[in-house]
Amino acid sequence: MGTDIPLFHYVVLSGILFTIGGVGFMVRRNILFSLLSIEVLLNAVNLALVAFNRMRPQNHTGHILTFFVIAAEAAEVAVGLAIVIALYRLKRTVRVDEADLLRN
Amino acid sequence: MDILLALSPVVAVSVGALLLMLAEAFSKQRAGLALGAAVIQATGAVFAGALWLYGIESLNGLDVLEPWLIIDRFSLFFHMVICLGGALAALLAGGYLREHRIERGEFYALILFATIGAMMIASAGDALTLFIGLETMSIGAYALTAFRRGSQRSAEAAVKYFLLGSFAAALLLYGFALVYGATGHTDLQGIAAALRGPAGSHPLSLIGMLLILVGLAFKVSAVPFHAWTPDAYEGAPTPATSYMAVVVKAGAFAMMMRVLLVGFGDPRSMSAFAGWPPVIAGLAVVTMTVANLIAGRQESVKRMLAYSSIAHAGYLLVGLVATIRSGDALSSVLFYLLTYTVSTIGAFGGLILCGSYGRESVSFEDLAGLGKRHPAVALPLAFFAMSLAGIPPTAGFFGKWYLLKSAMEGGFHWLAIIMLVNSVLGAYYYLRVLVFLYMREPAPGAPVAVPMKSGYVATALILAGALVIWLGLCPDGALDLAAKATLAGR
Repeated sequence: MGTDIPLFHYVVLSGILFTIGGVGFMVRRNILFSLLSIEVLLNAVNLALVAFNRMRPQNHTGHILTFFVIAAEAAEVAVGLAIVIALYRLKRTVRVDEADLLRN
Repeated sequence: MDILLALSPVVAVSVGALLLMLAEAFSKQRAGLALGAAVIQATGAVFAGALWLYGIESLNGLDVLEPWLIIDRFSLFFHMVICLGGALAALLAGGYLREHRIERGEFYALILFATIGAMMIASAGDALTLFIGLETMSIGAYALTAFRRGSQRSAEAAVKYFLLGSFAAALLLYGFALVYGATGHTDLQGIAAALRGPAGSHPLSLIGMLLILVGLAFKVSAVPFHAWTPDAYEGAPTPATSYMAVVVKAGAFAMMMRVLLVGFGDPRSMSAFAGWPPVIAGLAVVTMTVANLIAGRQESVKRMLAYSSIAHAGYLLVGLVATIRSGDALSSVLFYLLTYTVSTIGAFGGLILCGSYGRESVSFEDLAGLGKRHPAVALPLAFFAMSLAGIPPTAGFFGKWYLLKSAMEGGFHWLAIIMLVNSVLGAYYYLRVLVFLYMREPAPGAPVAVPMKSGYVATALILAGALVIWLGLCPDGALDLAAKATLAGR
């Protein structure tokens, strides 16, 4: 123990992570980078939850939610990578802008 | 015992899903799986209906489940709608997958697990169970979209759906994390109680609420957060599309209603001029108008139905706004969701029936003249398109009627007028289906659609059709059901 980092710093860091993830998701056209950006977003979520829970040590709501987020995300990424591999096998590309069959 | 009884709809579908996977693994026969999946979901609906009649209020000890799972009449209503939609979609899949040579047992298992997720969302009273239910439902839906493995369109649709779906889930979660920071609660009733106090004006809770709203708008595919919907709906195999349009949408709306009406139901977050209702009203107007305008320009019927489902989400949002003032607006929204469910499943089923292996009918041109060549095949599609357009005596008419009525009673006349204009706009592209079916001849040399034959699809269409007529002729019973589906904690 002995750390006295104020809560504010955690919240700001989590906000920065969230911004990086969000901008990365919208700017990058490579699907793998989009997946990574989503992971960064979720890490921002986890950091925020754990930090807020530190402020309220009487229960573990934030901690428990964090564990569930980690577990559910692992499952989601497994399905997501399978879909990306399926796309790569068919089109030999992992770029969103080259996947353009479905249009108005 | 009471707890097991209260959870019996979810337990029935869960046990059924596991048994179906076992049956799939140990038997070479695929034919019965569709029927099995439909029966399992129908069982879930029957359990929910039995609980409804028995009276969920008389069960003791349900507070052990709270706040994680709240079994009230609202969730039972959604359990019935979700199971009904899932069962009909499974029947459609039974015909479609066999015809198009992609039948594998996983499809039905995925449908069942996604249904469990949707049922969990409908009764979730805490961000934790909400998230788990959402992921269970969404992961199943992503896999269903990508099910046609040899098709580039299917893979592309799944990628787009997956990326935007998980992005939306992340936004929703970050919103809940911030609200947790401000209020110290992740359960919806706790959030509502805390928001009545000083936490209600805390910047974190405001930003959190905004993020939650955006995440929810993504999930119910409101414009401008709808970009994934047409692509995902068009690329997915048609039964998966119908499942997404019905069950996933019902799950998303259950989540939206519970979060907004219970979690953000305090006077400061829920009034006609502040909080979420003005945002939702704006989203509703943009969603209805944009979706209807774009839907009229589509060449593909499947894509047109995707935009039409976005437009219907807009109508539902109008009803959601009206709930803040008018007491029975919630029942109109639930009733509309029921009519939308049976009409949409029927419309996609009718489209499935019009095509066969190698000749899937997707565009308006494919349908040209079908009404003359195969009247019996064209009839369902025409009938359900009329119900979606809201022409009496079909279910869609009373759905729209009651929504308009609640919007008027709530004092949102301008919303009601915009909705009315939009329904007229919507009638254009639904009637276009009828024009192509009955008044056009296929272009010379163009491939003509050959209808398929399937008992499963026919059964699903007859069931959906009977419900559409029943809801259209005597809506009182179902409306009464919806009126009793009150939301605990409101």
